[in-house]
Order: sequence, then structure tokens, then C-alpha cells
Amino acid sequence: MAADELRSEPAARRRVVFGEAEVSDFDETNDLPVESMPLRMGPSHPAMHGTIRIALDVEGEKIKTSDIQIGYLHRCFEKECESATWTQIFPYTDRLNYVSPMLNNVGYALAVEKLLDIEHKIPERAQYIRVVVGEVSRIADHLTCLGASAMELGAFTVFFYLIKAREWLWELLEEISGARLTHSYVRIGGVTADMPEGWAGRLKDVLVKSREAIADADKLLTNNKIFRDRMDGVGIIAKADAAGWGLTGPVARSTGLAYDVRKDHPYLVYDRLDFDVPVGTTGDNFDRYAVRLEEITQSMRMIEQALAKIPVGPILIDDVRIALPTKRETYNTIEAMIAHFKLVMDGIHVPPGEVYSFTEGGNGELGFYLVSDGTGRPWKCRVRPPCFANLAILDKVLPGLFIADVVPTFGMINMIGGECDR
Amino acid sequence: MADPTQAPQEMVTVVIDGKEHKFPKGSNLLEACRSVGADVPFFCYHKGLSSPAVCRQCLVDVKGAPKPVPSCYTPVADKMEVTTNSPKILDVRRQMLEFTLLNHPIDCPICDKAGECSLQKQYFDWDAKLARNEGIKVRKAKVVDLGKHIVLDQERCILCTRCIRVCDEVAKQSELTMAYRGSHQVLTTAPGHRLDNPYSLNTVDVCPVGALTSKDFRFARRVWELSTVPSICPGCATGCNIEIHASRGKIHRLVPRENPAVNKFWMCDEGRFEYKAVHENRLLLASQRGKRAPLESALAEAARLLREALAKDPSKVGVVFSALASNEDTHALARLALDGLGVGRCYLGGRPLGWSDKILVSADKNPNTGGVERMVPPPLRTLEGLAADVASGAVTALLVLGNQDLALEPGKLCALVVLSSHQGPLVQAADVALPSATWAESDGTFTNRDGRVQRFHAAFPARGEGMPAWRALALLGSKLSVDLAYASAAEVFADAATRHAFMKDVPWGAQSLPVLLRFGDSRG
Repeated sequence: MAADELRSEPAARRRVVFGEAEVSDFDETNDLPVESMPLRMGPSHPAMHGTIRIALDVEGEKIKTSDIQIGYLHRCFEKECESATWTQIFPYTDRLNYVSPMLNNVGYALAVEKLLDIEHKIPERAQYIRVVVGEVSRIADHLTCLGASAMELGAFTVFFYLIKAREWLWELLEEISGARLTHSYVRIGGVTADMPEGWAGRLKDVLVKSREAIADADKLLTNNKIFRDRMDGVGIIAKADAAGWGLTGPVARSTGLAYDVRKDHPYLVYDRLDFDVPVGTTGDNFDRYAVRLEEITQSMRMIEQALAKIPVGPILIDDVRIALPTKRETYNTIEAMIAHFKLVMDGIHVPPGEVYSFTEGGNGELGFYLVSDGTGRPWKCRVRPPCFANLAILDKVLPGLFIADVVPTFGMINMIGGECDR
Repeated sequence: MADPTQAPQEMVTVVIDGKEHKFPKGSNLLEACRSVGADVPFFCYHKGLSSPAVCRQCLVDVKGAPKPVPSCYTPVADKMEVTTNSPKILDVRRQMLEFTLLNHPIDCPICDKAGECSLQKQYFDWDAKLARNEGIKVRKAKVVDLGKHIVLDQERCILCTRCIRVCDEVAKQSELTMAYRGSHQVLTTAPGHRLDNPYSLNTVDVCPVGALTSKDFRFARRVWELSTVPSICPGCATGCNIEIHASRGKIHRLVPRENPAVNKFWMCDEGRFEYKAVHENRLLLASQRGKRAPLESALAEAARLLREALAKDPSKVGVVFSALASNEDTHALARLALDGLGVGRCYLGGRPLGWSDKILVSADKNPNTGGVERMVPPPLRTLEGLAADVASGAVTALLVLGNQDLALEPGKLCALVVLSSHQGPLVQAADVALPSATWAESDGTFTNRDGRVQRFHAAFPARGEGMPAWRALALLGSKLSVDLAYASAAEVFADAATRHAFMKDVPWGAQSLPVLLRFGDSRG
């Protein structure tokens, strides 16, 4: 889609919504000429979640040009990884997309496991648990995105409803991992701990409660005229652009591009679960909202199926070169003590080679490109952060919109600084 | 391995893991296997010692032999077919490790060897199975004071006998032995004897586990926090090749580095403590007549004093070289004083003669006497002569390199400029004292007793205003209109090599930056 076409599209749709073409339409030639004015949003701005700077040139309320400036949350994640053991990187991955750390944990673990060639040796129970906690994390991610965006458009109640549901989920993740937000729960070869007694039942209960909360939010929001006016036809991305710019995740799917790593390149046990990939039609902000809302439902379906199918068994690979032995063995036998020492001090010795492994993160394709030189630390660890690509197209989307459109459009891209800037 | 100085050896063909290789007849099978990439592990074997074949870790299959054979004890023979990685051999290796670990204490967190331990490495590489037995381990003595420098933990000992062979074959003093048998077997000294030979700390280096520890290094630092650079021991004229193991600007130990032509795998105990002086009693800042002075003004004052003395009577100006200074520092001083300023009276300072033996230790306790004597034209006078020359008024101005042990009659000199890494009476008496770097803090070369020029590398930069002496001399030269525009020790070396035949064909070599031991292999 050409840039002009993209720009004219919101205006055209806005005519339909307002039904008053003459009033709302913006006529560049007949309107009073206005002086171009620079407007800088961020890096510290209530709507710029994370830290990002959007340098706008506006004419009146209308955006002429925009320049997305990222990097304010750069923490040298990739460089830091080179001096950490393969296992020590998990806490770093927690801080990529910090709204869904479990998905980052899983994505990174799968990449290292691919390099170690032990994918087929990961216990099935661990694979199911990874799917469950990953999908719980995805729901939390989407709830945050939707709740925060609604709040930014004035719907504060919805924020409370959704964040309340998120909190129930995070409490469960805290119960299984020991940490509410930075879980570091997954390990190369499995997961750190099994599900606590009764955890699956509590999760099912929480899903029931969450469904109610989400239904309330849905009622308040989806057919709300104020909300729809801000979302419909705003920030349209064409399907061809989505593919061309490398967009993935809910943002790409909102344009009709039905790409989901879980479906197209199944990993773990996703091929054994029945779920749909929701897609949008116009690629506007409302579609992104709707796709995320439906993905929450699909994730809940997946969790319920996984909990029904989860087998009994070990949760960590049986190999002392990869998985830490138990505390009892470590303190009582020299073999386990050496293994523990070598794993902690030297790290897992990953054979030399390189790998690109990708999973469906909260925002789309989360890729890890790893290079090993055979030592206990990666020679290179590169992340493909989904929202980096998703955010890039914002430069193209914003011109032609109003200043007030920046907030929902940026919100629906769901840029997470920790992941984008690394 | 075969002695390369002998006439061409008869070669034999050996098949190792299905591939044919040629080796000199009689080569050690273990070395042969490892030289072609077959990773055969071992504990008791050591390249510099005889092979007792006690650890059974290097067992390989030789076609025709009824049982696996210890490769460290087997010479290669023609048409030998060797397997090092069959399931059977891997299982044998694993089972041997299981035996070795059976009574090994659970000491890794408190063991000095952890991180560079052969047993840890081999367990991870070749066993990696959890214990089948959580039974009670045999208890032995944890702290046995073996000698002046060594503590033994008998529980950690895996009875490889390397230390016994070091005492027998390197130090030629058989103090260590095994006592008792079976699981009661322990390493010990003979009753009434102590492990106090001058090479005793080599036993710590060869110990594959943490049984023998150095009292000096014990509990000082975890090994993976250390970084290593290759260096040369400054303790005597032998010039043993060593590694400096340092952490954050502090040396924690010196260990020998293999050089078949000089020290093989060993160094003496005295040499290991040479590092202590690097951190003691250092001259860190420039001073004028005992008072702290900015480096720039100290240099200007030194230049003024020397210029005036030379203007008065050049024949009464002396320069003191140091047998402890590197070839580069010596060359820079010679270029400045002899070629640039026209000084004619040269003296040689350094440490006095000491004890020696026929193994490694030289009587000359200076690392670079050979270099100074080759670089400075005779006559090279002694320090005793200097004291007399000062007393008689034959010398009235002095430029001194090094913290020389020299008592001068006060009030006799009109100029005393000292370039030293350490504090001392001469520095106190100096008109101008300039701080310099020690051997551990600078790049350079020493020329040992055989005329061998050997390179050492800086482990960390000098503290305070300290800088390599050649650089300080170049700065002094610029104030005296003597152009010594050296940017690096390599340039000084290259300049020296064009003027001195003994350095001509010696390569300077690549720069070795400190490498964390964590990234090295087991040193065991």
C-alpha cells in the first residue's frame, strides 16, 4: 500500500464513523495554513510505556512526520550474555519482554536445547508445563496491553478489571516459580520445579474468574462508542506491509496475516493442542484489540487442554552435564558435587555451532540466534525482539493521524522497552 | 617421546581409532594418541616424569592384548592397532573414575584446586553419572603439615604418585612415599623427615587434585578469578619460564611454564616468592631530595643536574646499570648515557651471588647479567669500585638504574638521579628519584645465563607514576636533547636488535594479554 493511500484511509473511515463527512474531513488545501511545530513525546511520558521518544512534527493537531527513537532502555543484554553461563542468562531473558517472562524463558531454553541437540530428550511433562506457564504469561501480556490502552483512552475501570485478572495469573506463576514477575523458571533441559500440589485446579478456577472479568471488560469496551471512535480505522497497516516489514504476532495477525509460530512451526506440544489463530480484516487499532482479546480465549483453551493431557514424570532432563543434581545428592556425593560445581562455575558445555530458534512470544516471533564456541558461555547471543520490527512500521503509520491517535496506536503495537532495546 | 637430537628414528605405523599414523619407534603410546587428537585422559602420567601406570585412567585397547593396556606405559610398535573410544574403553574409563571418586571427600567448595582440578574435569568429560552409593567414605588426615611450604590433605589424594616422582626425579631427594595399602593407603613423608627440598612446590603443580596445597596460596584466591600471563622468573640467571597468576593488580602465585630448553616443567621454591617484592616497599611517586615532586618537575630537575655535571666535568659522571633490569631498560640507559650524553664510567649493580645447584638454581641471582654484559661496552665496574670512586672524588654525579644496595659518603655527589621501582637508602639520598615499573608490570626481555633472550609480559600496569624505565629514560632524554623516541618496549627491542648481535635473530613475539584461568584448561 502506498503511503498516500495509507494516510487517506483513516480519514475515509472516520467519515463513516462520524457520518458527517463535511465536518470531520480534513482538507489540506482549503484549511487554514498552520505552522509546523515540533512535538516530542517521551522518553518520559505517561503513554510511552517503557522509555521511548517519538519526535513528531505536527501541523495543528495533525501529524506531518514522526521519528521513532528507541534505545533508552538498552542494557547490553546481548553483550552481557557473553560473560554469563548459558544458565545465568535466564534472569536476563526475564527482563526482555518483562510482561511475559515465561515466554522468553521458554524461547531461550528451546534455542540452547536445539544447539545441544537434546530437544527430543526433554521430558514430556516439562514440555506441557512450559506450554501452560507460557500461555498464562501470554494472557497476562495481552491483559496488560489491553488494560493499559483502555486506561489511556479514559477507561480506567477496564484497566482495573483486567489487571485484577492478571494479578490472579501472576500469583499462580509466583506460586510455581517463586517470583511474581521475574520468574527464571525454565531451565535448559526442563523446568526448575514441578507444579505445586493443587496448582492445576487453582489455575482452572482462575481461568473461570478471569473469563468473567474479561467478559465485563468486553462489555464495557468492545461496543463503547468513545472507545470505538478512537480505535476504528486508526493506525491501519496493510497485510502486504505487515509481511514486508517483518511484523509478527497480534500486530501482523490484525492485518489478516495468519502467521503464528505455534501453528506454522509447532514446538513443544502445540501440535497436539486444538486452537485457532484469530486474524483481523483491516489492520487498524480495533483489529489489534480484537485479535488480542480472542487470543486470550484461545490461550485459555490451550491451557485447559494441556492440563488435561499432562503426563506424570520427570520435569528435568536426566543428564548431570546439563541439569543440576538435587541438593541432597550434591551435599552427599562427590559426583553430584563436581557436577554442581562444574555447571555453576563453568556452565553447560554447549557444542560449537550456531542456531536460530524462534517461538511465539507475547508480541510475535521471538527469535534467539546463538553461537557457541564449545565453552560454558555463549560466544554470541542475539535476540530478534518481535516489537522491534513491529515498532518500526509506526513511522509509516503515524503521519496523517492526529496527536491523540498516537496513544492508542502506540499502545496497540505494544512496544516493550526491555525487549525492543535489550 | 623420542629424543630429537638423535639420528633419524625408525618410524612405525600405528592404527589409532581406525586411522594410520606414523611415529618414531618406541614413542609413548599415550603421547602418540593425544598427538593425533585421541583424547586419552590420565592422572598419574606426566610428560616430565617416569610412568608408573598406577591410575589406570589411560587404558586403551590394543589388538591382540588380552586386557586393556595403560597407554602411558606402552611404547608404540609397528602394526599396532589401538582403540581409544570403543564402548568398552569408555566404560572402563568411567568405572576407574567411579573407583577414584568412591572415597573422595565432598570438598569442591573449600578446595583450592576446584576450577583447575583434573578430577573434576575428567568426571565431567568421561563419567557424568551420579553416585550409586552414598556410603560413608574412608576418613584420613585433612591437614598434614608436610614441610615448609606444603600442606597435605590425605583424603583428597588419589594416590597417583606424581609428587613422589617429582621429589625422586627432579629434586633428587626422596622425601615422599606411600604408606599402607588398599583404601588405607596414604601419602606421607618418612618418619622424622620433612618435605623441604628446594623444589617442593612443584609437587603442588603436578598434584591433579587439591591434596597438596601451597601454604602461600592456600585459601588466598579462587583460581578462576586469576588471570595468567607468560613471564620469566627474575630470581636468578637461569630464567625459568613462568606464568604470573594475578588478580586485580596483585600477583597471587607464580607457576612454571613448560620450556624443554630451560626449565622443562619446573621452578625452584625461591623463585615462586619473587612476586612478593612486587607489592612491597614500592616507590610510587617522583621525589626531589626526599620530598614528593610532580613528575614533570622531577624530570626537569634531573636533566638540569645532569647537564650541569656534564658541563663541569664529563669524566666525573657515572652511570649504574642493573643486572635486574630488562634488555630494553638497559638499552635505553646505554643509548641515553653512553651514546647521548657521552658518559664513560659504567658500573653494574644487582644482587650479590648466592647458592646454586646443578638442577635449576644459578649462583648469579640477577636475571639479566648476561644482557647487560653484552650490551654495555667494558669496562663494567663493580659497586664496590663505585663507593671508592665517590669517596675519592673520581665520580661527582651519578645516574642510577635500580634500587642498588649502595652506601655512599654523604655530601660527595653534586648530582644523584635514581630510577627505581622500590624505596631504599639510595632513593632517600637521591636528588631526584623517579619511579619505575617492575618486571611484572612491563613488557621486555631478559638474557639468561646461556645467552637466551626470553620475553616476559606485563601482568598489569604499574601503580602510581611508575612506568617502564625505558620510558622514563626516554622522557629524561627529551629534556637533555637526546632523541629516544620509543613508543613501546617492542621499539626499544627492535632498536637494540639492530645494534647487538645476540638479540638479532630473536623474535619479539606477539603480545600476551592476561587471560582468565577460567577460560583455560585444567592445569592439573
